[in-house]
Amino acid sequence: MGDFSRAVIIGILYFVSNCCFGYTLTIFRRPLFLALPIGLLFGDVPTAMVIGASIQTIYIVLVAPGNQLPSDPAIAACIAIPLALSTGMSPQMAVTTAVPFGLFGAFLDQMRRSANSVFNRMADNYAEECNTRGIILTASLYPLLLTFVVQFTPVFLANYFGTSAIQGFLNVVPDWVMHGFEIAGGVLPAIGSAIAVTVIGKKALLPFFIAGFFLVAYSSISIMGAAIFGVIIAIVYIQCISQKNTSVKEA
Amino acid sequence: MENSEIKINQPEKITKKDVRKAYFLWWLFTDTSNSYERLQAIGFCASMIPILKKLYKTKEDLSDALKRHLNFFNTEGIWGSPIHGITIAMEEQKANGADMPGEAITSIKTGLMGPMAGIGDTLDWGTIVPIITGIFLPLGAAGNPLGAIGVLIFIPISIVLGLFLHRKGYTVGREAVTQMLQGGQMQQLITGASVLGLFMMGAITAGFVNLEIALEVKQKVGDPISIQGILDSIAPGILPLALVFGIIMYFNRKEQNTLKVLIIIIAMCLLGSFVGLF
Repeated sequence: MGDFSRAVIIGILYFVSNCCFGYTLTIFRRPLFLALPIGLLFGDVPTAMVIGASIQTIYIVLVAPGNQLPSDPAIAACIAIPLALSTGMSPQMAVTTAVPFGLFGAFLDQMRRSANSVFNRMADNYAEECNTRGIILTASLYPLLLTFVVQFTPVFLANYFGTSAIQGFLNVVPDWVMHGFEIAGGVLPAIGSAIAVTVIGKKALLPFFIAGFFLVAYSSISIMGAAIFGVIIAIVYIQCISQKNTSVKEA
Repeated sequence: MENSEIKINQPEKITKKDVRKAYFLWWLFTDTSNSYERLQAIGFCASMIPILKKLYKTKEDLSDALKRHLNFFNTEGIWGSPIHGITIAMEEQKANGADMPGEAITSIKTGLMGPMAGIGDTLDWGTIVPIITGIFLPLGAAGNPLGAIGVLIFIPISIVLGLFLHRKGYTVGREAVTQMLQGGQMQQLITGASVLGLFMMGAITAGFVNLEIALEVKQKVGDPISIQGILDSIAPGILPLALVFGIIMYFNRKEQNTLKVLIIIIAMCLLGSFVGLF
């Protein structure tokens, strides 16, 4: 069993680095950075830095397309570095331990963002009532409280009771639930997409939505590539329409 | 001063300070409320509050504007911030009586968010951050705490860069919008923006919405038939597309009750996962 206050601090550290308060403060997620506060906590900064750096090497490029983290380096660091420091594990061994936790962190993020969907409804209602303070709260405090529960708990448990606690949790949650949430992560954006199409409206222009969809579905072209075709199509369409209008006027 | 002459419902002037305030709200809360359903919608709306409160003085107008910015939005926080600047410029024109339908503003946002996300992900998270990490990694590997402190240099760099891009978006956007209004090209811009917005929304949907049937039909002889394989050979992505259109039809025919749809979808995913359909 680990040190209670130490486990609390590491749990908070994980929350602060990963709660997405301050867009580029997510740089705190880097194991190379997290190694410093964890090292200070254990009174061994140099060793922590070495371990942090070796975990970092597997996460050098970390782009989250659509903010979908493929793997979470912060949870890997917040579990593997303390583990290595308290057991004297080698940096290589710590990296091997860290990777599966990175995947678990990605699952936590799916939970967070599925649950965050609830705040959209609250914000809709606040917008209806012109309650701007309420909207600010749904953008800040409310999701932060929820995120705290989702993120602090597992990291605290893993540091206090040992990694077997997380393993125990993973064994209790059936695979189909984890898989179901993974699926939901792929399906839920359909709601936002449907709302956007309804808002932009104009049924006559709907074929352009389908064209954009199948361009990407068939060719897997990058979003930048799709944008190039989109701009060309929009320009040609405007020209066709204005030509039609002028010829009508001339006739 | 002609205080007595000022009409109560007149929009106030947007100052540099307001624009800066909007940027910092955005930077603070970009992803805090990020959800699968609408991604950065609340973050975007929250950042517009200081602007919208100054522009819209009746409850009805303000409420409409707030609702407008609670739509699906997703971009990269730094390189996407010119979109916010342009949005502020468009809202300013709209509030001051220009013929600027709300859908046009939404279309412009939707058209720009994808490409700016592509640029930003590549430059910020794909280039600048890995370079900074690469520079300080050897220090860390040698056990030097400066390796950890060094990577933090990205924070001031990104804040200043974003602030610049945000302001540029506002000034350039304001000029462009004013010019188009004077040249009578506004109608064309609106139509063009709708086409581009819908096209890009389609492209983004194809990338974001994923649903595949895992179920296979077993045969007595030979390999099992994959249902997904059949669907893919008809057209890739028809299942997600059908899903989006199903929701659109539900919104059009019944009501726009997103909570109901949210619950149905999560239940459907869990059930589908349980029986092995997905």
